[in-house]
Amino acid sequence: MNDTDRASKITAIIEAYPADRRFALAAMQDMQHEFNYIPEEGLVALADYLDCSKAHLYSMATFYKALSLTPKGEHIIKICNGTACHLRGSVNLATELKRILDIEPGQTSADGEFSVEYVNCLGSCALAPVMVVDGVYHNKLKVDQISGIVESYRTDDSKDVVSND
Amino acid sequence: MINGTDRILVCCGTSCIANGALDVADAIEKELTARGLADDVCVNVVRTGCSGECEQGPVVRFMPRDLMYYRVAVRDAKAIVDSLDGAPVKKLLHKRDGQFFEHMDDNPFYALQHKVVLKDVGIIDPLSLDDYISRGGYEGLKRALSMTPDEIISEVEKSGLRGKGGAGFPTGRKWRSAAGYDEWPKYIVCNGDEGDPGAFMDGSTMEGCPHAVIEGMVIGALAIGAEEGVLYIRDEYALARDHIQHAIDDAYAAGILGDSIMGTPHKLHLSIVRGGGAFVCGESTALMASIAGRVGEPRAKYIRSVQRGLFDKPTVLNNVETLASVPTILRFGGEEYAKLGAEKSKGTKVFAMVGKVKHTGLVEVPMGTTLRTLIYDIGGGIMNDRPFKAIQTGGPSGGCIPESLLDLPVDFDTLTEYGAMMGSGGMIVMDDRSCMVEVARYYVDFLCEES
Amino acid sequence: MSDLLNITIDGRPCTCEAGEYLYDVAERNGIHIPALCRSDAFEDHRACCRVCIVEVEERGRRKVVTSCVYPVERECTVYTNSEKIAEERAVTLALLSKRAPESETIAAMAREAGGAEGFDRLVTLDGEKCILCGLCVQACDSLGTGAISTVNRGVDKMVSTPYDKPSADCIGCLSCANVCPTGAIEYAQDATSRTIWNRTFELALCERCGSPMGTKDAVHRAAQQAGVEEPRICDACRKRELADEMMHTYRYV
Repeated sequence: MNDTDRASKITAIIEAYPADRRFALAAMQDMQHEFNYIPEEGLVALADYLDCSKAHLYSMATFYKALSLTPKGEHIIKICNGTACHLRGSVNLATELKRILDIEPGQTSADGEFSVEYVNCLGSCALAPVMVVDGVYHNKLKVDQISGIVESYRTDDSKDVVSND
Repeated sequence: MINGTDRILVCCGTSCIANGALDVADAIEKELTARGLADDVCVNVVRTGCSGECEQGPVVRFMPRDLMYYRVAVRDAKAIVDSLDGAPVKKLLHKRDGQFFEHMDDNPFYALQHKVVLKDVGIIDPLSLDDYISRGGYEGLKRALSMTPDEIISEVEKSGLRGKGGAGFPTGRKWRSAAGYDEWPKYIVCNGDEGDPGAFMDGSTMEGCPHAVIEGMVIGALAIGAEEGVLYIRDEYALARDHIQHAIDDAYAAGILGDSIMGTPHKLHLSIVRGGGAFVCGESTALMASIAGRVGEPRAKYIRSVQRGLFDKPTVLNNVETLASVPTILRFGGEEYAKLGAEKSKGTKVFAMVGKVKHTGLVEVPMGTTLRTLIYDIGGGIMNDRPFKAIQTGGPSGGCIPESLLDLPVDFDTLTEYGAMMGSGGMIVMDDRSCMVEVARYYVDFLCEES
Repeated sequence: MSDLLNITIDGRPCTCEAGEYLYDVAERNGIHIPALCRSDAFEDHRACCRVCIVEVEERGRRKVVTSCVYPVERECTVYTNSEKIAEERAVTLALLSKRAPESETIAAMAREAGGAEGFDRLVTLDGEKCILCGLCVQACDSLGTGAISTVNRGVDKMVSTPYDKPSADCIGCLSCANVCPTGAIEYAQDATSRTIWNRTFELALCERCGSPMGTKDAVHRAAQQAGVEEPRICDACRKRELADEMMHTYRYV
């Protein structure tokens, strides 16, 4: 995407909302969804539109886990770390992902393909442990299933998935 | 025999979807179409909300015959459709003591429950306003529209309804406080943040019967004089948000929301605010800060939200389950509701029972039901019949209850007396192999992360 | 007109209006309650530091509250240094000392509170003075500059400019540094410039005496907001000029 495209996309996202601070989070979530992160120029443009300080929005962008200031991977792997999943071994899933992708939860792989994150309870407790990749749930997981799942996303970029975003 | 009102209910709550329920529903539909028994001619396949028996899902139920199938896979579609007018598929039935059972209530998991909030979940199509109305939906609102705000509040006070997010504050009293302030505009807010790990009661209610929440909000808005309401739904609950939005849209189209509620001069506009991924936003003042476009940091609790809440105006914030209880109270009367439950904790409570219990899932029981009943009679006991160690309740602020206290009734006050708490309804069952130190460390970590 | 209430603080009878903050009522009656994150500059207090806790007995029950934001609503008896409060305050200050070991203010308050045992196992944040009270952010916001904010949350929470880069919104006014209870905000200043939050600002100097009147940015902004011309001489010189003028005008009166 070139700069003009990006700028006009940002404008479209921002102007879809009334110029009221209460829409700050929603606008940033839309930016996150569009760009996979909040670009600095997006933050600046939004601050201007809402008549609030850049620092205020920066504060929100670093506070809310749903928002990130650096690009996330193309495929986002969310490991549910709710209590039920934790008891049924969510940590083992993270360990296995570290072995395969060499990243910890909260990091993005060097090739930009995958981000791994721990997320709070997704509400599928009966099927713990749960991992969601690009919005698709994988449940009752065993450690030896992980590499297969990761590979399927690596080789198939055009997968038609139900998005959780 | 099959006729046009027959339905095949397929549980499509988040858990069952994760287990392939949507594929099962599709497969059954395909099979029906292949036999010329498609949707609008004979049998409807309804993708419902959570039926509760998450461990045994996907669950499929024939109505009105009341034939219940568990652990249904795509490959079972043909056999299931065969059984529509014939003998049931044995291997998919509930099995107990060597016998097979057909009906839902043959399964003690269901028989011992008493559904009020969840009465339509697992039965109706969450995306259908007609379905909701056909089972008495919006009767409560109709009655409320013929009452004064004071009468509405009195009905809720009579019911003894207390906040089901865990704090247990009397709902009627909260509404009365807010109604008493002479300051406008006022707001009604639904707390759909459900941050306790292991809890999915509110998520399932929003997914499975979104109109119950909306009806509760409209009634609440009438009681306090609010003309705007917000449903704050956590970031992780995409399906719940979709279903609530769909219900809001339908409600507007049907004249239930908007500038003239059901033709009256009353107004209410509802919108959804999506959470940003912060547990602390489940706390009411942090939630309101988040709606206002700030970081979700709480403020001193001495300033009561009913007086100065959202945008510094009088605000009533209620939990999803609390709001979803209101339509029943208005429809049948507060006194009727108060017949259920325990002396100081009226009505029912929805619990999400997870962990090392045989029948994990969503249950609704009268307040005062004991932990033992929940875990052993409804839950079927510990997985692999291992020894019970503890049950964790109340989320990160709660505690672990040992075997010696299993006969305590679960309500707002009893567990608190013993140093634990009921909380929002998340219950995590642990066996002898669960490490308590690890559980403690996990929760401290969680709180550290979310502070 | 609010109702007047009679309450007792540490045995002393005090009168106040309903809704007044307990801390203010105490202060007014000569009873000092220790506090860190409470500033007279603002009406809106955050109750972050928890140092100003007191015990309130009302309706037969006792509870611990943060006096800076506790509105007095009915008759009550207040203890600012009961055994329970003394202990809790000592613990609070011990924890704050771990968080901000470089703060002399906190160290002194902790000593005054009598110290508390058992915190050696906790990590000390070496070199830190900030207690994340947010007063600096509040100050910057109230001026309308909004150059700094809290960043992240939990154990990673801190105060800084966006992206940790010098902020174009900062005017170098020192409001943040001045309101900080622990002196956690560093700045450097020489005869002609001031450096804070990674930016160096040119100082506006008094044309008469040469002393700094503030940064040029801050002076400019203040004048703009007040709708007046930018001053060229400092307050002291202006007063002297005014006094001279008055002396000349009135000396024969």
